[in-house]
Amino acid sequence: MKKEYGALVVGAGIGGIRSALDLAETGLKVALIDARPSLGGILAQLDHQFPSDHCGMCKMLPLTQRDQSSQYCLRKGLFHKNIDIYLHTELSNLEGDPGKFQATLSRRSTFIDSTRCVSCGLCAEVCPARVPSEFNAGLAQRTAVYLPVPHNIPNHYVVDLDNCQRCWRCYEACPTKAIDFKFEQRKDFHIVVATPDEQLAQDFPLWFKDENFPVHPTSSGEDALKLLAEGLDCGLMLLDLDLPQAEAERTLRRALELRPNLAVVLLAAPGKERDKDGGKDKVAAALLKLGAREVLAKPLRQAQAVPWLDKLFMRLVSDESFSIEVGAVILAAGFECYDPAASPGGCADLLLYGSHPGVLTSLEFERLASPTGPSQGLLTRPGDGKPLRRIAWLQCVGSRDVKKNADLCSSFCCMVSIKQALLAKRRSHDEAETTIFYMDMRTNGRDYQRYRDEAENEAGVRFVPARPHTILPGPDGDILVQYFDYAGELREEVFDALVLAVGARPPKSMERLAQAAGIEVNDSGFCATKYLSPNRTSRLGVFAAGAFGEPTDIRGSLIQAGAAAMGASRMIRVYHGPRDETPEAEPEYTDVSRQVPRVLMALCTSCPTLERNVDSELLHQRMATLPGVVKVVDVQRACTREGWEALRQEAELAAPNRVLIGACLPYVHVPRLRELGEALKLNPALMDVVDIHTASFSGRDTSFGGHAACLASCATGAGACDCGEGARTNEMGSLLAMAAAKLLGADPSTLPQATPVSPQALVVGGGLAGMTAAMGIADQGFKVVLVEEAEHLGGQAMNLRYTLEGDDPVRFMEDLVEQVEKNPNIRVLKDSRVVLSRGKAGRFVTVVATGEGMAHTLHHGATILATGGHEAKVYEYGNRVRKCVLTQLELEQRLAAGSVDASSLSGVAMIQCWRSREESRNYCSRVCCQGALKNILMLKKRNPGLPVYVFYRDIMTTGFAEHYYTEARRSGAIFIRYTPDSRPQVDFKDDKPVITALDPVLGAQIELHPDLLVLSSGVEPGDAAEIADLFGVGLTSDGFFQEAESKWRPVDFLKHGIFACGLALGPATMRDSLLSAKAAAQRVVRILSEKQLSCGNVVAEVRDTLCSRCGRCISVCPYGARALDLDRDKIVVDELLCQGCGSCMAACPNSATVLRGFHDEQVMAVIDAALAVQPSAAARL
Amino acid sequence: MQELIMTPQMQGEPMPGAAFEPAIVAFVCNWCTYTAADLAGTSRMVQSPNVRLVRMMCTGMVDPKYIIKALLGGADAVLISGCHPGDCHYINGNYKARRRVKLLMEILPRFGIDSRRIKLTWVGASEGNEFAATVNRFAAEIKELGPIDTRSLPLL
Repeated sequence: MKKEYGALVVGAGIGGIRSALDLAETGLKVALIDARPSLGGILAQLDHQFPSDHCGMCKMLPLTQRDQSSQYCLRKGLFHKNIDIYLHTELSNLEGDPGKFQATLSRRSTFIDSTRCVSCGLCAEVCPARVPSEFNAGLAQRTAVYLPVPHNIPNHYVVDLDNCQRCWRCYEACPTKAIDFKFEQRKDFHIVVATPDEQLAQDFPLWFKDENFPVHPTSSGEDALKLLAEGLDCGLMLLDLDLPQAEAERTLRRALELRPNLAVVLLAAPGKERDKDGGKDKVAAALLKLGAREVLAKPLRQAQAVPWLDKLFMRLVSDESFSIEVGAVILAAGFECYDPAASPGGCADLLLYGSHPGVLTSLEFERLASPTGPSQGLLTRPGDGKPLRRIAWLQCVGSRDVKKNADLCSSFCCMVSIKQALLAKRRSHDEAETTIFYMDMRTNGRDYQRYRDEAENEAGVRFVPARPHTILPGPDGDILVQYFDYAGELREEVFDALVLAVGARPPKSMERLAQAAGIEVNDSGFCATKYLSPNRTSRLGVFAAGAFGEPTDIRGSLIQAGAAAMGASRMIRVYHGPRDETPEAEPEYTDVSRQVPRVLMALCTSCPTLERNVDSELLHQRMATLPGVVKVVDVQRACTREGWEALRQEAELAAPNRVLIGACLPYVHVPRLRELGEALKLNPALMDVVDIHTASFSGRDTSFGGHAACLASCATGAGACDCGEGARTNEMGSLLAMAAAKLLGADPSTLPQATPVSPQALVVGGGLAGMTAAMGIADQGFKVVLVEEAEHLGGQAMNLRYTLEGDDPVRFMEDLVEQVEKNPNIRVLKDSRVVLSRGKAGRFVTVVATGEGMAHTLHHGATILATGGHEAKVYEYGNRVRKCVLTQLELEQRLAAGSVDASSLSGVAMIQCWRSREESRNYCSRVCCQGALKNILMLKKRNPGLPVYVFYRDIMTTGFAEHYYTEARRSGAIFIRYTPDSRPQVDFKDDKPVITALDPVLGAQIELHPDLLVLSSGVEPGDAAEIADLFGVGLTSDGFFQEAESKWRPVDFLKHGIFACGLALGPATMRDSLLSAKAAAQRVVRILSEKQLSCGNVVAEVRDTLCSRCGRCISVCPYGARALDLDRDKIVVDELLCQGCGSCMAACPNSATVLRGFHDEQVMAVIDAALAVQPSAAARL
Repeated sequence: MQELIMTPQMQGEPMPGAAFEPAIVAFVCNWCTYTAADLAGTSRMVQSPNVRLVRMMCTGMVDPKYIIKALLGGADAVLISGCHPGDCHYINGNYKARRRVKLLMEILPRFGIDSRRIKLTWVGASEGNEFAATVNRFAAEIKELGPIDTRSLPLL
C-alpha cells in the first residue's frame, strides 16, 4: 500500500528540518528526503555560525513533548516520531493536486545494508580509490566507500559507485557482509545486444565472461525482439544505432511494450553524434525521449565498456523508486556555493583559485578551521603548512556579478567573512592580521552592524572598501594583491591566504527538481516566488523554504521554513476539511512505582567485533550478580528488526520493569525503545541502551588487526593479561553496572499532569504582521483574538504606496484588512489595550480593556506580539522645517499622490543611513536602501534625465533586491559613498539645500544644489516596554523584542507560548514581516493543535519538606520556569518551561529540588558503580 | 576475577611492578561532549580506557558534591566537560559550571587534594578528536601525578 503523509519536505538541511519539525509537531506525518547521504545540509560542515560564532542547532528541537524527538546534538541526526527520513533520495515526479499529490521518489542505493553495517571502517581501509572529500570541501581525500559525515547518527558507510574501481576488496573485508554488489544476480541478468557489427557481436560475450552476464548477441532488431517475445528475462538491451533508424525505433518501442521496465542503452559513435544535420545525434535524442536510458559512445573498448555496464547493472538492480501520497510539498533544497573553478562562468584563473594553495573558498576555510577538518582546526596553508598570519577575504565572488548571471546578493557572505576573520583572530591568539576587501558590507540584520563594529574596533579586523584588480603569486608561496584604495592610491599587499567569499547558486539538481515538482525558476535559477507571497512557488500546494527561494542566512532560512510550514499546514487543513483527525492515542504505561525493580539485561554479543575481544560468558555471569537484575539474555544482532523482535519476546517473558540493553550505537536505538515501551506498556524512561561496542575496541586495541599491539601493551602494562580481553570485559561490565545503577534508581512515578490547552490565540497588534499571523492561525481552524491599539487595522504598511517589485501594497493591505474583518474565526478588538496577562504555554489569561471602558477576559493557549514600529523621527537637516526636505516615505507618498512632480525637478539628493548604523540606533533598518531605490526608479521613470545623487555608506540590497540597485545605477543615478567621519554637509541657500561632500571617486569636494533632499531615517520599534513587561518577555537595547535565540529560535521568546513577528522583532521589509508572521503563526498552531501539553521525562521537581524557600533555584533557572507561590508557600515548577537542565538541582543547598532521571541517589550510585572496578585493578585480574 | 566490587583496601595500592592506571570519572554534557565522546568511540580514536563517562544533561547540573564523591570514592581525577561558552543548549549552564569548578579548585587543595585532579574543558559535538586528545592528555597528567591517597586526606 502506498504510504500517506501530510507533507513531503525535499531537502534535509536546516530549512527542511525546521519545516518538517514544525509540521510534525502539529501531528502531521512528514516524509523528509535529501539527495545527500546525510542530514543537515551545508550546516554539517560549519562549526561556527554568526552572530554568536557558535552552533546551537539543537535549540531547534521541540520544547514540549520533548520525548517524541531525539534529545541529542542535531548535527548528529534527528529522530521524530512523525518524521520519516529518506536519504540519498530525490523527488522524481509530482502529480495530482493540493491535498492529494502523488510523489514519486527515487532512492539511489548505497550498496551497504544499513542493518548490517557496524561502521567499523575496514572497507575504507582497503579501498584503493581516492577522490576529493565533499565533507572537507575538497581539502582532503576520501575513498570510494566512505562515511559521508563523520559524526552522523546512524553512521553507515556508503559506496560511491561512480568512483568505485570494482576491485571488490571492501566486499571481502566487510566482517558483517553488509556490502552487496549483487554478485549472485549477475548470472540471471540477460543482456541482449542488437548490432550489425559482427566483431562486436563476437567480442561481447567474451568480454562479459568474467562477470557472468549471459549475453545474447543478435544482428538485427527483429532477432532481439524475438528473444524477448520468447520470454527471455532480459535486464538490458544494447541497441546499436548503426541499425537503420526505423528499425532501431521500432525495436525500442516494441521492446518497451514487451518489458516496460527494460533498460535500453543506445550505442552510437560520437563522431556521428556531433553530426549537425540530423545524423545519429538526432536519432539518439529522439530515442532517448521514447524511453531509452542512456547513450554509450562507440567504438567500445573492453576496459571501459565492461565497468560501465557492470555499474549500470548494479544501479538497475539496486536503486529503487516508490510513490507516496502527500497533502503538500515543501521544497528546501537549499543552495550550492559558487565554484570559482566551474567552467564556464568561473574565475579561477584570475583569482589563482586551484593553482595556488593559499587561495581558498570560504567553505574551504570553514573546514580548515574545523576540528574535524583536514588540519584538525589548525589554520595552516594547505600544501606547505605555513601558519596563516596574514589573511585576506575577497567579497562577492560569484555574487553581484551580472556577467556571471548573478544579479543578486547572496546575503550571508559579508557576515560569514567577518565571522571567519574573528575566528582567525581567536585561533591565532590575535596574531593573525585580517583584511576584508568589500564592495558594500551588508550587515543588514538587527544585531549585525554591532557585530561588524566590534570586529572592526575591538578585534581589529581591517575593512577595505576596494576590489583588488590583480592577484599574483608572491614570494615564498604567498599571494600578492593589488588594489586601489579609498583615496585612489595603488596599493600592493602580501597575504598568506586569500579567502574567496563565494556566493550562493541554485542547487545543481535545480533543473531536474523544478521539472519533477513542476515549478518555475527565476532568472537567477532560484525558485520563483512573488514578493508578497514569498513562500509560495508557481504551483499551488508546493512551497519554498530556507534559501531555496532566495539566498539568505540561517535566521532567514528558518523563518522562511516556518512560513512554508504554515503554508503547507494550512493547505493540508483546507483540503482535508475541518480539523477532525483524531489525535494518536498516547501510549499508556503501567504504573510500576509500587513494584520492586526487576532489570532485564539484554546483551548484543553476536557482533563479529565482540566475539573476538570479549569473554561474553564471564560478562553474563557477572551481570547476573548485579542488584536488581533478574535476567541476562543474549540477543542476536540487536541492530536488526529480527534482533529486536527476539528482544521483545524475551522481555515479554521476563516481564521486567526496567530494561537495559548493551549494544552498539545507543542513539540509533532510541526510537526503538519507544516501540518496545508500547509493546511492554513500560515507560521508555525506564529503559536504557549502553554502548558496549566501543569498549570492545577502545584503549589498547584500536582496530581488529591490533591484536599484536594489544598483546604487547598488555604485557608491559599488567603482565598477567594475555590480550586485554579481561580489561575489555571489565570495562564493559563497568559500563553496564553504571547504567544498571542509574536505572535502578529511576523514578517510576508518573509524570506531572499535562496542561490542557485553551484552543484560542491572542495576537497583539493589527498591522501587516499581526493580521497575517491571525489569518494563518484562523485559516487552520482556531479562534484568534486580534487586539489593536488604533481605531483601525493596518499599521505601518498602510503608508506604503508601491514596492520595488511592482506590487500594489495599498490593495494588498485593503484586501488583508477585509479578510481579517470578515473571518469568522477572528475577533478584532480595536482601540484596545492589554492590561494584564498571566499563565503559561497552553493556558494564558489576559485582560484586554477597550476604548469604551469594557474589559474582556481572554483564555488563550498562545500569544503573538506584533506591536510594530514606525519611521524614525529625525529633525536635523531641515527635516520637518523646510519643504524641500523629505523622508523617503514622504517622497513615496507624494510621488504616488502626484504632489511631487518629477518632471519639474532639476535635481534630487538622498542621504542614506541618516542616524542609523551608529550609536543610539546602531542597526541597519533594512527598508531604507530599498525605499530609496524604489523612489529613484520612480523618479527616473517619470523624468529619465533627472540627476539623482545618493550619499550612502553601504547599499544593503540583499537577495534579489540587488537587481534594482543595478537598475538604479543603469538609469543614471549617482551613488557617492561617505564614511561616518566625513558626512555630507547640508546648508540652505534661498530655501534650497546645498550639499557639500567628498567624492571618493573624484577625490575632490563637490557641491550640489538639488531641489529636494530626501533622508533615509530608518525605522524604530514602537514603545514595547509596557507590553514586554506585561508578558514577561525581553527587549534588546534598541527596544526591539529579544527572541530566544537569534538564529535557531528567531520568532520565539524564551518564555514558551509567546512569539513575536514583524517590525517589533527587528527592522523588516513587507516580505520579512509576512514571513516572520507566518512562521510565528505556525509556532502557535503547534501549541493549539494539542489538546494538552506534556513535558519531557527529564524535568525538575521540588520536595517541599526539604525546601527552605531560599529562592536560589528561581534566579538560577535560565527559562524562568520556577516561582515562589506565595499562597501555597511553595516553590512551583512550570513543567512546560522547564527544559531539564538541572541548574536548580546543583544550586539547591538542601537537595530539595530534583531532576527526574538524575536524582542524587542515582548519580551517586552511578559514581560508585563507575569506581567499583579500578582500571589498575582490572588489568591485574 | 570473580568479585566485581573491590574491597577498599585494594584501592590506590597498585601491586608492585604494575604500572599505575588512573581511574577518571568524567561528567559530560548530553549535548556536546557526550556526542563528541560517542564520535570518538565510533570513529575508533585511540582513547585511554581509564575514563568512565557519566552523562549529565548539562555541566550546569554537576553538583560539586558529585565531584567530591567521585574523588573520595576512589577516582584519581574528575573531568567535567561541556559545550563551548555560548553554545550551551540551556543558554548558560556551562558558565555556571565554570564558576563552580573554579571555586572548588580553590577549596580542594586545603583538604589535600591537588587541584590538577579536576579539569573543566569545552568539547563541541563534532570534536571527537579533541575529546580523545583531552582524555589522553588528562590521563597522562594524572599518571604523572600518581594515585590519589584518600585515606591520608585531612578531610577524613
